[in-house]
Amino acid sequence: MIALLGHLWSDFMPLLLEGMTVNFEIAGIAIGLGLVAGLVLAIARWRGGVVGAGAASAITLMRAAPTFVVMFFLLNALPKTVSLSGVMAVALSLLPYSAAFVADAGLDALRHMRSGSSLAALQFLPNVMRAFFVLVMSSSAGAAIGVGEGITAILHQAEQLPALGDRLILFAIGVASFGIPLQLAFVLLRALQRRLGLLLASRQTAQVK
Amino acid sequence: MRPLSALVAVVGLALAILGAGLGRPAWAREPESPDAALASLLEAARTGDANRCSSPLADRLIRVLCNGQIRIGVRDYYPLFATRTGDLREGYEVDVARALAAKLGVAVDFLRVNAASRIPLLAEDRIDLVIATMGHNTQRDGQVRFIRPHYYRSETIVVGPKRLAVSGWKDIAGRTVCVTIGNGSNAALVSHDVRLLLFDEAGVLPERLKDGTCLLAAQDDSFFAEAFTHPDFADRFALKFGFAQVPWGMAVERTGSEKLARALDLISQIFHRDGVFLDIARQHRIATGFLEEQQKVWSSAACNTATGSSDPGCILPALDAELEPTRFAGAVAAFERWFSAITGIELSLPMLTTVPAWSLLLGGIVNTLILIGGALLATLFFALGIGAALSSTMGPLRWLARSIVVILQSSPIVLTLVVASAVAHALFPFSATVALGTAIAALGLANGSNAGQAIGEATLTLRQERAAGAHAGGAVFARAVSRSATQIVAFLINAAKGTPIASFIGAPELLSALTDITSFSSGRATTYTLLLIFYTLVVMLVVAVCRRLQATLESGRTAT
Repeated sequence: MIALLGHLWSDFMPLLLEGMTVNFEIAGIAIGLGLVAGLVLAIARWRGGVVGAGAASAITLMRAAPTFVVMFFLLNALPKTVSLSGVMAVALSLLPYSAAFVADAGLDALRHMRSGSSLAALQFLPNVMRAFFVLVMSSSAGAAIGVGEGITAILHQAEQLPALGDRLILFAIGVASFGIPLQLAFVLLRALQRRLGLLLASRQTAQVK
Repeated sequence: MRPLSALVAVVGLALAILGAGLGRPAWAREPESPDAALASLLEAARTGDANRCSSPLADRLIRVLCNGQIRIGVRDYYPLFATRTGDLREGYEVDVARALAAKLGVAVDFLRVNAASRIPLLAEDRIDLVIATMGHNTQRDGQVRFIRPHYYRSETIVVGPKRLAVSGWKDIAGRTVCVTIGNGSNAALVSHDVRLLLFDEAGVLPERLKDGTCLLAAQDDSFFAEAFTHPDFADRFALKFGFAQVPWGMAVERTGSEKLARALDLISQIFHRDGVFLDIARQHRIATGFLEEQQKVWSSAACNTATGSSDPGCILPALDAELEPTRFAGAVAAFERWFSAITGIELSLPMLTTVPAWSLLLGGIVNTLILIGGALLATLFFALGIGAALSSTMGPLRWLARSIVVILQSSPIVLTLVVASAVAHALFPFSATVALGTAIAALGLANGSNAGQAIGEATLTLRQERAAGAHAGGAVFARAVSRSATQIVAFLINAAKGTPIASFIGAPELLSALTDITSFSSGRATTYTLLLIFYTLVVMLVVAVCRRLQATLESGRTAT
């Protein structure tokens, strides 16, 4: 087991970390595009009318579209003139989720701003951060189309380990590699939200006085 | 004439005939030998009516002999078989073409063809013969006249890293294999529970193997022959096993080429028997197993006859590539035409036109519905179980549940599926049922743990409220479930949305089924568009049902 861990540390970990940067890259593209599309949809919904109803319908459809199917749709159903890299295909397949999430969170923020609660509106930021980490985890779908991300690195390494016990150790390392940054991010998010909550409470107290 | 003189004359004539024939092998002297039949056919074509060369009804053999040139379609880039560098053409097929032309006593005029143009160019009379890596199957039998015996045979081979222990079908069930779209052998892979990763061009496969995108790839052995000539590729990868053997045939136009086809049949027989094909293959370092077998066949007395090329005992059958049409294939085709005429959009519904595709589609829909129903129930089950554990007053149980939640939250869903699949395969042999069950359990655990956490947190707040005297108590767990209804419903919807990812571990749901169908048929754009619509509608239906469940749960909260 010590030999296995030594081998994984020296040979596998660099590949895993390299692969995980692709997960973050995909999530970055998806959240960036999602912010643009989602805020447009949020503003459209906020204004109401026909455009608002159209935006609401679009968000409903986006929420319902499964990422994995969207990814295969983008790779297979687009005209041959549109050539997508694997990374872009995964990022775009995550766009319906990220845009719908940003639209919902953005609408809440706009409503808070209208009611004068700008600190409550700032909850939009931790929410977007949470969505970013969900996207990091979801970007592992890229393994199905051969994108060289973190899970792909884990699966390639697993192919070289015939014993189930060795594979489970490898998978545990994989879970820890994804889990530690995720749990740390959630701790930071909770701290940020608590700080915002305290600020909000102190401002309300000041207004009452 | 005296008897003695007569005897001397007869013996002398016999010796003269014997002497004349000694320079040729025994089989060539037989009146029914292919050599004799070829000689008489060519002789008849060269002589006769002076107008035969200009007659529009003349067989192509006569035109070829009159022109002193045969137009042969070959590929420009198929390493080891036919390549072109400037004016220099090389490869097994190129040298076979030259040997055929030499046997006919004419020059050769090469024309470039590819997989799409080789049959149309014959039909348009722009080439007389095609020798271009063309597999002989029953579908093509209706389009061109194949020359028998076949000049080569390829098979689909599975290639992977040397260290990987794969030696047959049992080792690749449930694994992903990189293939090219439209490859005839994809259906065989699908029937052995192999997951396919599709590529448009075969040319990328060696690179995708090298960069690790593909662990295994399946393609013609003739294609990989070139890759294996490179030491860096040959050092790392090996042939695992082969299947789906396809004979390759030269072909001529079906009409107006009867004599040319007959002459080429006879020449092919002779080339096999005399080892001409074999020698050329060795020069180009391509696989020779098939040609060695064929040399034995065509050297046998039974096949080395003028009629050998039509003897089913000597020649190989065409590959049966016809897929059985569905009862309603005609109506589907009519609908496709009507739709295209009305909208101008090319519609192709391959999943409805052949029995194997239709069967895969129906199986995929049923499995998807089972998967979604199972994932929803499993999510609910694990949510309640983990929620109850997190709500427990027993510390160790609570900590165990909390650890499970943290681990499952930290694992990307694909990794959770892979871990579940590895454990399941250690316990059971791979099957579609095991893959479906594993996917249901993994999706249920991943989503149920999150929903369970919400129940646990709701229990905690309810206890805090009770301690503060905010409410009168009652069944805390039921109230916690009711309070976390929104979260439970959100994760139920998430479970339904996540079901297509089960195809990653070989669960035969609809995405997997349609990927399989498009790997051996056309209509990818339509297929994946319909798939997206189907899944979106199913998820919207699940959302509607879940909202009702949420209303029921929340009404319970109001009642309590």
